[in-house]
Amino acid sequence: MTGLLRRTGPLSPLLAGFVLMAGGLTVRDVAGGLAGLAALALAAPFALAGSRVSWLRLLAGVLALASVTWSNWLLASPRELEPALVAGLRVAFFVVPGIVLAAFVDPSELGDHLGQRLRLPARPVLAGVAALQQLDDLGQEWASMARARRVRGLGPDRSPVSQVRFAADLTFSLLVQALRRAERMTVAMEARGYADLARPGPDRARRTWLHPAPWTGADTTLVVLAAAVALVPVLLPLVVPPGS
Amino acid sequence: MSTTERHVPGRAGRGRTVRASGGLLAWRGLDLVTTAVLGVAFGVVFIVWDYALNTPWTGLTSAFPPAGSLALGVWLLPAVAGGLLVRRPGAALLCEMIAALLEFWLGNPWGAGVLVSGLLQGAGAEIGFALLGFRRFGPVAAMLAGAVAAALPVVAYEWWTYSLEYSWPWKLASLGFSVTSGVLLAGLGSWALVRALARAGAIDAFPAGREHLAARG
Repeated sequence: MTGLLRRTGPLSPLLAGFVLMAGGLTVRDVAGGLAGLAALALAAPFALAGSRVSWLRLLAGVLALASVTWSNWLLASPRELEPALVAGLRVAFFVVPGIVLAAFVDPSELGDHLGQRLRLPARPVLAGVAALQQLDDLGQEWASMARARRVRGLGPDRSPVSQVRFAADLTFSLLVQALRRAERMTVAMEARGYADLARPGPDRARRTWLHPAPWTGADTTLVVLAAAVALVPVLLPLVVPPGS
Repeated sequence: MSTTERHVPGRAGRGRTVRASGGLLAWRGLDLVTTAVLGVAFGVVFIVWDYALNTPWTGLTSAFPPAGSLALGVWLLPAVAGGLLVRRPGAALLCEMIAALLEFWLGNPWGAGVLVSGLLQGAGAEIGFALLGFRRFGPVAAMLAGAVAAALPVVAYEWWTYSLEYSWPWKLASLGFSVTSGVLLAGLGSWALVRALARAGAIDAFPAGREHLAARG
């Protein structure tokens, strides 16, 4: 069986993330939180079959959850374990699947869908997609600037102050490079009719997109699945009254 | 309006605020693409921050979690800097949302929560600039935008999610730390950053750069 997430577009994982968030915020007790996580675990194979999950990313999420639980214990008055655990569970319910779902949202596909499905204004959407495609180049630029500085003896030493200063210098240079890059990109994009998108009238109606952006059955199924899971913590207190 | 309009050095009077060309909503292609690329560049910085710095920072401040909010301003930089640079309604929101989207996509500890935070942070900065009618973009405007950008997500989102069990004094304390960070790190930080970019000649095609050229004479 192929998991749902291998067949969906980018909008439904995003929507599923928000549906789970809405459900998670209704968690009121440990039982509700645990039931919600159990429902997530049951639903996960349907969504994820045949896909890989980055454990490293999940680890960062787990650390964040630990800090939420800790600070909700430390700063509550009076300090109680249970409400803090509930706070952790409540956030876990949408953070953990959110981290997994994010990996299935492809930025350029998302641009196609935002423009065609949600009918967001085309120019900002395309600017965003074009900018996100620069990510790898900006990362390489960062690396080569860092190398050049080290070769010239301008690298940081061990002290944290010099490390931070080095990073701040590089950040500024990266921003300057990014601004220059944006100028070149704009010229290239305008030469290909980017400005026509701003013009009102029939030109705008004729705007076409290279890739179709269909909403498929898999998308609907994923959102329904997320909604079913999100309803578990909402409905549980009605079925099993708290404290019983 | 012409989307290829370039800067006209003589246009800005000495010491006067230069407003975006062709009316506030007349977004040029350059405005959009620059805002977006700036968002991506900040997103790269966010990723480094999320993994390399924020985890040790959270550890350091875990004895006193509200102090962790002092680092919040870093996440507001795109919103305030985008608004200061382009000076049009929507610039702060677009820049912050793209940075947040990148953070969401490349992996961050909060899942879809990062998009909600980004949306509220961007909207907060927009409110800050709007309070001054999108007419002022000096250090005061930057600090105001940074303050609202910090306060809105804390009050509208974090109090009800990540810090629900905090007692009210602590909720208010974390709001105070967040706003301090928003004013200093995001507000003054973005203002200094945009001024440095203007001095480097990197933003001559934008109001902030024109202002710098005019002041230099």
